[in-house]
Amino acid sequence: MPEPTKVSPVEALPEASREYGAIGEVSDDPRWGMAVDTERCIGCWSCAVICKSENDVPLGMWWNRILTRGEELDTPETGEFGRLDMSWVPLACQHCDDPPCMKVCPTSATFVDTEHGYLVEVNQDDCIGCRYCMAACPYGVRVFNWGEPEYPVEGFDLGMVEPRPIGSVEKCTMCIHRLEEEQVPSCVWSCPAQARIFGDLNDPDGRLVRTIEDRGATQLLEEKGTKPKVYYLEERRRRSL
Amino acid sequence: MSAVATAGRTAEGRSWAAAWYGLLVGGMVVGLACFVYQWINGLAVTGLSNTISWGMYIITFMFLVGISAGGLIVAAGAELVGSERFASLQRLAVLLSGTAILAAAISILPDLGRPQMVWRMLRQPHWTSPLIWDVIIIGVYLTIALIDLYILTRPNPKPGALRTMAFFALPAAVLVHSITAWIFGLLVARPFWNTALMAPMFVSSALVSGLGLLIVTAHIVDRTTEWEPDRDVFDDLGRLMVWFIAVDGFLLFAEILTTYASRVPDHLKQLNVLLIGRLAPVFWAEVAIGVVVPFAICASRLRERRGWVVAAGALAMLGVFAKRINIVMTSMFMPLVGLAPGIPGGRAGQEFAPDPIYIPTWVEAGILLGLACFIGLFVTLGVRYLVVPERRSTG
Repeated sequence: MPEPTKVSPVEALPEASREYGAIGEVSDDPRWGMAVDTERCIGCWSCAVICKSENDVPLGMWWNRILTRGEELDTPETGEFGRLDMSWVPLACQHCDDPPCMKVCPTSATFVDTEHGYLVEVNQDDCIGCRYCMAACPYGVRVFNWGEPEYPVEGFDLGMVEPRPIGSVEKCTMCIHRLEEEQVPSCVWSCPAQARIFGDLNDPDGRLVRTIEDRGATQLLEEKGTKPKVYYLEERRRRSL
Repeated sequence: MSAVATAGRTAEGRSWAAAWYGLLVGGMVVGLACFVYQWINGLAVTGLSNTISWGMYIITFMFLVGISAGGLIVAAGAELVGSERFASLQRLAVLLSGTAILAAAISILPDLGRPQMVWRMLRQPHWTSPLIWDVIIIGVYLTIALIDLYILTRPNPKPGALRTMAFFALPAAVLVHSITAWIFGLLVARPFWNTALMAPMFVSSALVSGLGLLIVTAHIVDRTTEWEPDRDVFDDLGRLMVWFIAVDGFLLFAEILTTYASRVPDHLKQLNVLLIGRLAPVFWAEVAIGVVVPFAICASRLRERRGWVVAAGALAMLGVFAKRINIVMTSMFMPLVGLAPGIPGGRAGQEFAPDPIYIPTWVEAGILLGLACFIGLFVTLGVRYLVVPERRSTG
């Protein structure tokens, strides 16, 4: 049987979709960032699932996941005056400007990619698999290739992203392969609630920076001094059941 | 080591020696086989996961770095203050230090996901990483131990040579424990590790466990070979142990009191795991067998009986091992962002681990057994060819 030809999903997209996913105007020296609107997030996990297929993330691993505030997954927490509240924290690599994982990497396999919008990237060729970065990351967003990667269906990979070797650490790349095609990361593109805003933190007039300023966005574990490039827009009103 | 004594003299001794060496080599073969098996299949064959990503290998590494302290510090410290008290122990002490630090360096290999890439740490060292500092200081420390051993085993040791070395050996010993502590202590993501007391505590625990190892080994070697330490040396070592345990216990108490009193939620949550939570049995065992009992033995008149000092040394070592487990596991159990459903486990069928547990597998046990046998073989050969001969030639 001939090898099935792989088509880049970005190339395969209809023109309208490409337009929808276009990054648009950016500054001369873009510093990629994201804002996640927790008011809009409905906790549907679409972004987490598309991330897995976009990046061929094996079973048992997630680069992007949706945390539920409260006791357990899908269990509302008791809010003010005994009201039941439910909200979510979509969590992936925060692409810190001062990344603790990068500082402790003994081989510089994890580095700040100054050529690609100052994202925190991993060069798996240099990774020795010591997992020091996993101990150093306050967000717990790094995953390790413990064994041979397993997929729900054999050959179920898009091949957009190089497979990572066994024994190396991986994490969200902010879909750097899409950024090169001037497309937003797939979690941003796929969110049915449009809860994610991607953009250039160095562009003061861009939608991302304006939204962060208007809404008084916060960063996760800001007190740790990691300077994340992912911002969270807090809910302006409580959703009650 | 029971065989070394009479090895080569009587038929019975020869067969004991053969059995002992056979046991050690067999254990090493098992360990090597487990390591190859793990290398092929990945760390999936261990009990580790993305939440508890460091386990027995790192705990053993910390412990081995620690027990390497005793020898060099006793040998070099005695040299610096001009004390003759521990002179009879010097060779054995330095042999133990060198072996332990060599084993520590080896113990890091099975923890790596890609051991074949370890050379990249030398090709492209990233200087902000405490791991790189540790590689360097372990290399320096091992070199010092080897030079000391060379000096001590010359037929006519140069007077003062060891004393000169002590000026390098002591700072290197303090650094090797401090830097190993900073691997953990400098991480902002782990509140329980992120304390300035981490390095002092590592130094003090290292002294306790290193001295414990020296006491126990000196006793065994004395019983099984012609080698004889000075008569009062165990009493002196017990005296030293009182001080080492007192400092170690004091630092532990200071750390826990500060964490408890300051009521910072993240810190307190981790402290509770230790004091009343899942790790409580290991923690209270650490306090009992690592601090209270050996301190009571060594501070009382029981110290005059060698058996008690040896027991105290063995308990203190066990206690420090428990302490290593607690240090690593407390932080690993408690990720900072602890919302449901937690961190992905890492393998098919382990999508999430909201309540992670870690049970080491037989592969980890096998590799560590191999490492223990490696240490045993190294020490046995060292005792036979480097420590004992002095007496034999003069006797």
